[in-house]
Amino acid sequence: MEKVNQIVEYVQNNREQIVRDWSEQLILMDKQRVANVLSENVYLNICNDYVNLLINSSTNQQSESKISEFTQKIVRLGWTLGFTMDSLSAFGKIVFFPMADKTTEKEQVEFILDYDRWISPINIAVYNLFAETWQRTVSLQKIALQELSAPLIPIFENITIMPLVGTIDTERAKSIMENLLQGVVKHRAQVVLIDITGVPVVDTMVAHHIIQASEAVRLVGAKCIIVGIRPEIAQTIVNLGINLTQVMTKSSLQKGIEAALEMTSRKVISTEE
Amino acid sequence: MVARIPILKLYNCLLISIQWELDDATAIQFQEDLLHKIHETGANGVVLDLTSIDVIDSFIAKVLGDVIGMSKLMGAKVVLTGIQPAVAITLVELGIHLQEVLTALDLEKGLETLQRELGEKAWRANPM
Repeated sequence: MEKVNQIVEYVQNNREQIVRDWSEQLILMDKQRVANVLSENVYLNICNDYVNLLINSSTNQQSESKISEFTQKIVRLGWTLGFTMDSLSAFGKIVFFPMADKTTEKEQVEFILDYDRWISPINIAVYNLFAETWQRTVSLQKIALQELSAPLIPIFENITIMPLVGTIDTERAKSIMENLLQGVVKHRAQVVLIDITGVPVVDTMVAHHIIQASEAVRLVGAKCIIVGIRPEIAQTIVNLGINLTQVMTKSSLQKGIEAALEMTSRKVISTEE
Repeated sequence: MVARIPILKLYNCLLISIQWELDDATAIQFQEDLLHKIHETGANGVVLDLTSIDVIDSFIAKVLGDVIGMSKLMGAKVVLTGIQPAVAITLVELGIHLQEVLTALDLEKGLETLQRELGEKAWRANPM
């Protein structure tokens, strides 16, 4: 590993030059035009941090927390994983080529091997942490989405409503169905309104899930009305040849509530003359 | 000896509450018993309460569907009550929709439904 010490020495001696070259190259490489938003100083800082990381790791045991700190910084800047990988490999080239000029071919191979052994673990750690951070974000968002997924709201005695917002996939359809049925039994609902005003696309699969849900609702002993069918949704449903005839449908929530009240033998009257 | 499910007569209706998981033999026995009872009493309404059933398999679901169809042929309306959410999901996923079957949330609502469907007939004492 004595080559590593040479490289570290070289990096330490030419540090300013390397950092400057590297950050300039990063700005050129940044296709996402983050450069327009971020100042050059930000790049310089990032480059400095990385070089610090490398030098520290060669002298003492590499500290996980330092690497994770560095990665967090990158993620917060909004760099993509691809860009991060490109930039780290660019650093390798900047350090490597000027050094390689001064050495023989045989030494170069040793250099490459040693260099790789030294820098790979750090880079891999950075990539892993990067991916982990994203995964964490995604799973948090998934949980948040599930919480918002399908509330069931009792609006009158025996009448409940489930507003659906957003795209419905199989997983969500399942939780919708479970919530719906448990809610119907819990609230002792006679009529359930499913409001699909907020569902952007109704394709065969979504329609299938809705029909299944309404069948299941019928089996537990309540009636189901689909409300909020917009003109374009009506068109899609007919064009796709989906048969919704066994399900009661209404155009708006208001009409649905009126129908539901009628089904439970009630009506809204105005108190004024 | 197969366990038999009790079938109670209430005015002109039959009342069945299934209290434990049905096995295949019990289900078949039940089908026969119910049809005989309908024939015997001339009942024109049946309330089948499934509140205690948490799991249902395709065979039992089929038998239930058959029983409902057969009862209808014999002139008795069937109301299923207290189907648990999990059971409803299973039935729908198995493709057993039990079309045209009346359902109600619980026994009380089921009796109300039957009364509405049959009119006065349900509570009149059996003419026979």
